[in-house]
Amino acid sequence: MKSMRLALALCASASLSVAHAQAPADYPADYAAVIAAARQEGKVRIYAATDTAAASPLIKDFEALYPGVKVEYSDMNTTELYNRVISEKAAGGTSGDVFWSSSMDLQIKLVNDGFALTYKSPEVAKLPEWAVWRNEGYGTTYEPIVFIYNKRLLKPEEVPQSHAELAKMLAANPERFKGKLTSYDIEKSGVGFLLITQDAKLNPAFWDLAKAIGAASPRFQSSSGTMMERIGSGENLLGFNIIGSYALLRAKKDPGIGIVMPKDYTLVMSRIMFIAKTAQNSNAAKLWLDYILSKRGQTIIANQSELGSIRADVEGDLTAHGLAKALGSALKPIQVGPGLLTYLDQAKRLEFIKQWQQTAALRK
Amino acid sequence: MSTYAARLPGGGSPSRQWSRGLVISVTALVVLAPLLLILYQSLLDAPFFDPAASAGVGAYRFIFDDPDFWSAAKNSCFIAVGMAVIAVPLGAALAFLMVRTDLPGQRWLEPMLLIPVFVSPMVLSFGYVVAAGPVGFYSVWFGDLFGGVPWNVYSLTSIAAIAGLTHVPHVYLYASAALKNLGSDVEEAARMSGASALRVALDVSLPMVMPALLYSAVLVFFLGFEIFGLALVLGDPEGHLVLATYLYKLTNKLGTPSYHLMAAVAVCIIAVTVPLVMLQRHLMKNAAKYVSVKGKAGRQRPLPLGAWRWLAAALIAGWLFLTVVVPLSGIALRSVVNYWGEGVVLADVLTLDHFRTVFGQPTLMRGIWNTVLIGVIGGGLAVACYTAIAFATHRQPDGWSRFVDYLVLVPRAVPGLLAGLAFLWVFLFIPFLSPLRSTIFAVWLAYTVVWLAYGLRLVSSSLLQVGAELEEAARSAGASRARASRDVTLPLIRHGLLASWLLVFMIFEREYSTAVYLLNPGTEVIGSLLVSLWATGGADMVAALSVINVVLVGIGLGVALRFGVKLHD
Repeated sequence: MKSMRLALALCASASLSVAHAQAPADYPADYAAVIAAARQEGKVRIYAATDTAAASPLIKDFEALYPGVKVEYSDMNTTELYNRVISEKAAGGTSGDVFWSSSMDLQIKLVNDGFALTYKSPEVAKLPEWAVWRNEGYGTTYEPIVFIYNKRLLKPEEVPQSHAELAKMLAANPERFKGKLTSYDIEKSGVGFLLITQDAKLNPAFWDLAKAIGAASPRFQSSSGTMMERIGSGENLLGFNIIGSYALLRAKKDPGIGIVMPKDYTLVMSRIMFIAKTAQNSNAAKLWLDYILSKRGQTIIANQSELGSIRADVEGDLTAHGLAKALGSALKPIQVGPGLLTYLDQAKRLEFIKQWQQTAALRK
Repeated sequence: MSTYAARLPGGGSPSRQWSRGLVISVTALVVLAPLLLILYQSLLDAPFFDPAASAGVGAYRFIFDDPDFWSAAKNSCFIAVGMAVIAVPLGAALAFLMVRTDLPGQRWLEPMLLIPVFVSPMVLSFGYVVAAGPVGFYSVWFGDLFGGVPWNVYSLTSIAAIAGLTHVPHVYLYASAALKNLGSDVEEAARMSGASALRVALDVSLPMVMPALLYSAVLVFFLGFEIFGLALVLGDPEGHLVLATYLYKLTNKLGTPSYHLMAAVAVCIIAVTVPLVMLQRHLMKNAAKYVSVKGKAGRQRPLPLGAWRWLAAALIAGWLFLTVVVPLSGIALRSVVNYWGEGVVLADVLTLDHFRTVFGQPTLMRGIWNTVLIGVIGGGLAVACYTAIAFATHRQPDGWSRFVDYLVLVPRAVPGLLAGLAFLWVFLFIPFLSPLRSTIFAVWLAYTVVWLAYGLRLVSSSLLQVGAELEEAARSAGASRARASRDVTLPLIRHGLLASWLLVFMIFEREYSTAVYLLNPGTEVIGSLLVSLWATGGADMVAALSVINVVLVGIGLGVALRFGVKLHD
């Protein structure tokens, strides 16, 4: 009797899940075939440099939307991710189906080197033009790059509101900020390097700022976690080029952390996702990519993962839409495209590092 | 006078020779495969699996032209020397006090002494930042009392001092293992002729444990070149590089991971350690003269310290406070607050949320389970392997034993981070191994090889103290060599083996860098999760997981002590 009831229950839930897994209304008619094939595959393997904590609401919702497709999520850092992708491809064994990383330049390099599957997502029309490259690499998040400071120790009038003010303040009070300024060590952090070169491109007074930074004996760290920990504790006072999504998450828990989106320009970073050319579960991978870009997925990205929605039709504070209201044309998204490859050239990169070290770093 | 068993009639039965050959070749294979891969990689200009890679010495030219490399090398030497200078005398003194004297409170002190070994250096250094950093709570408290803080945890001297203090247990374990196997009759003789406790320690006990001390000195010196977590967390902000952090920096310096440069640095580190091994061989040549467990039982009687016992106890308490209480209270406090620092009233920010989050995440829970598994079962298997290797070379002073001696010291000299990477390559590119890559076996193998020198020295330290005449007695009574090993030697070193298991368990619990590149769903261990979480900014989770890690080891140790795995008799 018991087993019969169990079987009935199983049938019921199976039919229920079939009802769930309908293609979204505005998708092409053959999308149902993709869903069916993804079901056959049964899983999608994701290599990501995004916290499991931030991704788990997305995973739960995706698995509820497409029952029968399980997400195997591996959380690693950006360098490991790159390393894993190239070595696994060379070895020819199993690898991930989808790669998702905040290291925009490395992702574009992988796409450029032929690691990505060309796939035009049905959501592509809803995305800003700068966020899609060759229908292979897709920007998926909208993360402003901010200043953070210690609210208990820095008076409101001491908080710089723009890059220009930061330079002015550091020059005016070198003693106040001596050893108390923090940011990425650009030699150790690829993201830090990417951000600082974007600064150099956008800010005409960049090298003056670098000089002022250098005069304050800055403490450069290799990860944003360390920077936030030390600003939160008051060991450091002010940090620049911090990924806004991490800072917002942290500020929610630690009321001592303040956040400034610089008024002259605010860089916007976007985690790039692409499907592996050699994906074993390519249909499930397509479902996942489309889901992440869909309004449903982006709403969760904005409200639960706190990574910022890239879509204009998702509302909220941490969305392209909401930020545009506050900052307007000061928002400068980093283009998803071959421009990111410039500094992967060894000579250019070392030249920039040298110049930065001589101007801004503690070690001369 | 010891005769070499190998020369006795029937010394090498064919099956014995066969199993010895097997043990040595498997060891050589697992040690050399990743190593040769590193060497090969260092002579290329791109990842070895890249079809565009071509041979050359460009990688070496690059690092030798880089002033950072030289400053890192200098700092590494400073730290390694500092560590040996601090850890060896302290560890030896500690072992003498614990094993040989009537120091008060030895029972409960012993497990405490080992705590610095349990904790990953990442965690310790994070603990030091929270506790003794510029706004750490001990610093603030000290500053309020005395109007200033005389230390700077980010200086090179602090890093060397902390590294030295936290490596005292390594020396202690070797020295005390040696002392425990030593009858105290010679010491009593010296004592009865009127020598003071200090005199006995320096002139009688010290020379007897010299082999153990030399081993541990060389190992601590090696470990000095491998210091990574401490230098990463404490050395970074003021720009103090050491070789391992320099290597880590090369991962990103050129934008894409520069394996050839990393491999070249690793080869340089190995080149430094080879002369050290030679030196050690030279010092160890006459190891047989230290044999002290003879056919006659030697009772151990504690040396009365008199009034000195309180000074000794105070010194040990001071060391424990600095290396255990300060960082661990820091990390424990950090795990139950939302934030901390200057101007924060800690009572207002207490929370258990971090632990709830950890227990709610399947990945983290799996990591905790795997860590237990790899420590208990993996640790036992590793000790079994080490014992097999130790027997394969025990009292057989031929070319093969010398080969194994050099062989086992090498993997420890390769920074864990890169050793892990090399193992990833091995598991990727050797077809029959690739299905094992995403199982915990991959991590176990990497750990076992990386800690080979360490575990083997512990096993063979005990072996070395079993007098050859005991085995010879068994042999003359007609036992085969294998039987003599099984029924005479093995039971005599069982305490040594159990202690090794415990030590290896602790080491496997705290290892962090080796598993980083092997991190996969299914292979998570706390160590690699800590690095991963640290990089993405999860300081809350790092603190909670560290506390869980320390508690796990504490439980493990408690169970071991409960069931009679005594660290001293």
